[in-house]
Amino acid sequence: MSRIDFPTFASKRFLIMSLLPLVMPMAAKSVTSTISTDNSDDFRIDTIPELIVTGLQPIVTSQTLKGTELRALSTTSVADALKYFAGAQIKDYGGLGGMKTVNVRSMGAHHVGIYIDGIRLTNAQNGTVDLGKYSLSTMESVELFNGNKLDRCQSPSEFSSASTVYFRTRRPTTDSLSLMLRAASFSTFSGKLNLQTSRKGWQAMIDAEALHTKGNYPFRYKSEYEDTIGRRSNNDIRYYRLEGALFNKGFSSHVYYYYSERGCPGGIVRRLSDKYTNIGREWDSDFFIQASYRNSYGPHSILANLKYSNEYLRYNTDYPDNQNTVKADNHYHTNDIYAAAAYTWSPFTWLDINAGYDFRWTRMKADLKRFTPVTRHDQKAVIALNAEKWGFRLAASILFQHYKDFTATKAGAADPLHKFTPSVTLGYSTGNFNVHAWYKRIFRVPTLNDLYYTQSGNRNLKPEYTTQWDLGGEYMLLTGAFSFTAKADIYLNRVTDRIVCLPLRGTYTWSMMNYGYTFCRGLNATLNGRYAYKDFNFSLLTSFTIQRDLDRTDPESELYNKPICYSPTFSCGLTGIIAWRRLSLTLSDIFVGKRMWSYADPDDILKPYNNVDLKLDYTHSIGKKFNIGATFEILDIFDVQYEHIPRYPMPGRNWRMTLTFSI
Amino acid sequence: MRKFLLSGLILGASLATFATEEKLIIVDEGSWQADNGRLSYFEDGRMISNEWFRETNGYKLGDNPCDIIAVKENLIAIAVRGSNLIQFINEKGEAIAAVEDLPNIRCMATDGRYIYVTSYAHECQTASGKLTFTKGYVAKIDTEGFSVVSACEVGYEPEGIALYNGHLFVANSGGYSFQEDHDYESTIYLLDPSEMKKTGEIETNRLNLYGRISQSGKYLCLNSAGNYYDVAGCGLVIDCEKALTNPGESFASIPYLATYNTTAKDNKFLAIGSEYSFTEGGYIYTCLTIDAPSVIESKGESGYSTSLPGTMAQDIEKMTSPYGIYMNPFTGMLYATDAGSYGSAGKLYQWSPDGKLIGEYPAYINPGWFLALRPDSYQDSVEAIEAGSEDSDTPVYDLFGRRVAAMEKGHIYIKGGRKIIL
Repeated sequence: MSRIDFPTFASKRFLIMSLLPLVMPMAAKSVTSTISTDNSDDFRIDTIPELIVTGLQPIVTSQTLKGTELRALSTTSVADALKYFAGAQIKDYGGLGGMKTVNVRSMGAHHVGIYIDGIRLTNAQNGTVDLGKYSLSTMESVELFNGNKLDRCQSPSEFSSASTVYFRTRRPTTDSLSLMLRAASFSTFSGKLNLQTSRKGWQAMIDAEALHTKGNYPFRYKSEYEDTIGRRSNNDIRYYRLEGALFNKGFSSHVYYYYSERGCPGGIVRRLSDKYTNIGREWDSDFFIQASYRNSYGPHSILANLKYSNEYLRYNTDYPDNQNTVKADNHYHTNDIYAAAAYTWSPFTWLDINAGYDFRWTRMKADLKRFTPVTRHDQKAVIALNAEKWGFRLAASILFQHYKDFTATKAGAADPLHKFTPSVTLGYSTGNFNVHAWYKRIFRVPTLNDLYYTQSGNRNLKPEYTTQWDLGGEYMLLTGAFSFTAKADIYLNRVTDRIVCLPLRGTYTWSMMNYGYTFCRGLNATLNGRYAYKDFNFSLLTSFTIQRDLDRTDPESELYNKPICYSPTFSCGLTGIIAWRRLSLTLSDIFVGKRMWSYADPDDILKPYNNVDLKLDYTHSIGKKFNIGATFEILDIFDVQYEHIPRYPMPGRNWRMTLTFSI
Repeated sequence: MRKFLLSGLILGASLATFATEEKLIIVDEGSWQADNGRLSYFEDGRMISNEWFRETNGYKLGDNPCDIIAVKENLIAIAVRGSNLIQFINEKGEAIAAVEDLPNIRCMATDGRYIYVTSYAHECQTASGKLTFTKGYVAKIDTEGFSVVSACEVGYEPEGIALYNGHLFVANSGGYSFQEDHDYESTIYLLDPSEMKKTGEIETNRLNLYGRISQSGKYLCLNSAGNYYDVAGCGLVIDCEKALTNPGESFASIPYLATYNTTAKDNKFLAIGSEYSFTEGGYIYTCLTIDAPSVIESKGESGYSTSLPGTMAQDIEKMTSPYGIYMNPFTGMLYATDAGSYGSAGKLYQWSPDGKLIGEYPAYINPGWFLALRPDSYQDSVEAIEAGSEDSDTPVYDLFGRRVAAMEKGHIYIKGGRKIIL
C-alpha cells in the first residue's frame, strides 16, 4: 500500500487507522472507496474495492460524524451536528434566527476553536462563532477534539484552544449537479444548488443556498403560575450563502460568502398587551477566502495557510415603535488577514518535530460613540513533538502567544500580552485497545469587544485560563459485518479569571470583568455499533456525559462548590439508523438533564427534555445518472417545549420536506 | 416638646422593632428579559417569602421591576419596567389593579391620589389619546380609575422624581447618550403636577443624574453618575425651597457618588456611592452620611462624611456588590442589599438604628428597592405622646415618619399623633 497523504500522525499504522471510521461502513457494505495517493508525480485516483485495515487508534479524545451517518441526522447547520457529541452543549437563543454557539465540557464558547479545512474561523469582535451561519451540506465530516488534534504538521493556532472542532469540506470525486428544494414549518422555504467536478487531479465545488422563514412558531409556558400561549415574533430570517472550494492533492482552498437579515427575538415576559415588545434586527455579511497547502518530502513536511476575511454586522433598534430599549443603529466592520507556516521534521519513523508560526492582523471599526478603530497583532509560535515506539506514544507542545493592540482611544490600548502554555499527551496501544492521558493549559485572550466597546469594554481584563486533565481509553472491535467502538474519558478542568459581563447598576450599564473560578470533573463516553446484513445496514450511535461543574469562586459564598448554571449533570444522545438499499430511517434522541439557570431559587431550573427527531430518506435512480431524493423529517416528535435560555422557547414539533434532484 | 416627640417616636419604634413590628417589602429586579422580578417580604427579623407576590396572587409580577412606593393607605404601586406596567397591590400583597402600556418606566412619586412616573420612552397612551415626545416624559396616573390621565415631556431618560410643595422635581439622566444622538443631561425639571407643565429648571452642570431621589422635607439627595470616562460623578443635595425662587443657588455637590441613597432622620441621607470608570476600570464603593442643611450651607465643602452608623460601612465593604440602602422611617432600622454576582440570590442585611449588625437574610436576584409598612403598634406609640402636642409649632410628619416642612393639599400627615388630611 502506498503512503496515504492524509494529515495525521507519523506512524503509517496510525495513518491507516485514521481512515478507519471513514472506510469501515463502506467496507462492510462492499461499496467502492476512493483515496488519493501521491506515490508518483502524477496524481491519480485509485479505486479500492474493499479495504481491511488494522492499526493504532488516535491518542487524543475525539468524536467524529461523517459520511452517511452525518447525512442521516436531522441537521442543517453545523450546530445541529455538534449536539450529538458527548460533552458538547449548544446554546441556542431560540429557534431559527437565534445565535447558536457550542460549549465543550462547560468551559465556555470562547474556548472552542472552530476550523474549516484546518484554518480557524474567527470573530475578533466577540470571539464566538455563530454556528448557525455554516451549512453542513458541503461538509464531509465533523470532528470534535478535546485538547489538541495532534496532526503530524499543524499551525500554532490549532494548539490555541481548549477544544477544537474541525469541519472538513467534501472533496468531489465525480462530476455532479444537484438541486435541493425544501419546505418546512413556520413558512420556511429554502433552495440549494450544488455543482461539483473532479478532473485531472483537480476537484472543485460550488454551493449556493437561500432560505427564508417567518420563524413564528407557537409556544406555551404552563406552570403553577402561568399558562402563556403565544407565537414567537421577530424571529424571521432570510439568508443567502455562496461558497466554493478547489482542491488538488495537498492544496485546498475555500471561498465563502454569507448574507443574512434576521430579527432578534426577546424573552417571553409578562405583558398585558402586545404593544411595545422588544425590537431589534441584525444584518450580517461574512466573506472569507482561504488557501492551504501541505506536503511531505521524505522526512520533511510543510504546511502553509493564508486567509482573508471580512465581516460586517449591523444591529438596529432605531424604529419609531421601539419604546423599550436604547435606539441603536451600529455598524461593525472587521478585516482580518491570517498567515501561517509550519514545518515538521521526522528524523526517525517514530519521531516528528513540528515548529510553526502564525500571524494575524485584525482591524475593527465601528460607528459607536467614544470608539476608535482598533488593530490587533496576534502572533503565535509552537514547538511540538510526536513520538511513538513499541506502542507507547508521547506528544508535547509549547505554545507562545503574543498580542498587541493599537488604538487612538484616550484610555489607550490594553497592555501587550505574551504567554507560554504547554500541553502533554501520553498514550499506549495494544491490540484493539488504547489508553491515553493528557494535560493542557491554555487561555482565551479578551476580545476587542471585551476590551474596547463603548460603555462595556474594560482594557484591564486578564486572560481567562483553562487547565485540563484527561484520562481515557478506547476499544475497537471489527469482525466481518459487525463493528463496535467504545470510548470513555474522565476529565478534570478548571477555568480561572472568567471574563463575564456584569451590570454596573442593575441592568442599565454593563462592564466586562474578570470574575469567577470553576472546577469541573466528568465522564464522556461513546458507544457505536454497526452491523450489515445483506442489503440492510444498522447503526447505533450513543454518547453520554456525566459531569459536575462547580463554582469555586468564593469560599465564603453559599454558592461555593455548587454546580454552575446551565450545566446539566447528565446528558446523552442516541441515534439509530436502519438502511435498506436506498431507503433509510433515522431516529435520534437527545436527552439533556435538569439545569439550574440561577441559584437564587430552587424553581430557577430549566427542565430536562428529550428531543426526538425522525427522518425518512429515499433516493430513486432514473437511468444511470439521474437521481431523485425525497426526505421527510419530523423534529421534536413529542412536541416537548424546552429552552436553552430561560424565556427563550425553542420550537416544538415541526416538519421538513426535502426534494433533491441530482445528475 | 419636639425633642420629646422625636424621642417618643424612636423609643416606640425601637420597642416596635423588637416586638415583631418590622415589615419590609423588597423588590428583586431579577434578570433582564427573564420575567423573574419578585417581591420579598421581610417581617420580624426573618424573610417570610422571596416570592411574595406570586404566592399571594398565583401569577408572576413580571420582568424587571424597578421602584415601589406607598400611594395611600393600603395601596402600593410597583413599576415593572420590562413588563410595561405599574402593578398595584395592597399591604397584604394582593393585586388590586395594573396600568399597562407604560414602556420603559423608571421611578415614581405620588401625592396620595396620582402617581407620577418617569419614562425613557417617547410615546404615552393617555385617556385622551396617544402623546408623542422627542425626549422622555412623566406620566400622571389616577389611582381612582387606574388610568393614565396626562403626560409631560421632560429631558432625555428621566430617572428620579420627587414631589415637594406642589412641584414635581424630575432628574434627567440622558443615560442613552452612549448610543443615541444626544448628550448626557444635567438638569432637574420642575413640573406643575396639576397642569403637567414645566415650570422651571435647575441646571446642575453635573452629568447623568442617574438613580433614585431620596427626600427629607425640603431636601433632596440624588446622584450624578458622570459619563463613566473623563467626567467624574458626584452626589447632589437640592434645597427645594430655594429651587422655587433661585434655582442656581439651590444645590450643592459633594465629591462622592450617592448611587444608592435613602432618607435618614434629621435631614440626613445615607448613601452608597458606586463609581466606575471605563478609563481606569474597577469599582470604587463609598459609604456616605450626608447632612443636607450643612452641605447646602457650605456649598458642598462640608456636611458629609464617609461613614455610616456603627459597623454598617465596614459590613458593606465586605459585600460583593452593594445594591441598595434603606432606613425604615417608622423604626429607624437600617438595611442594605448585596446583589452578589447579579445572577444569584442577593442578600438583605439589617442593622439597628445605631448601626449594629443584626443579621443577613437571603433575598432573590438583584434586590434593590424597599418599602416599609407601618408596624402594627405604630399608631399606638404615636397616640401615647399625643397629649400636650396642641401647640401650633407641633412638627408634622408624613406617613413614612419623615418631618415635613410644608403640608400639601390632599396629603395625609401625622400631627400631634393624629392623622390629618388637608
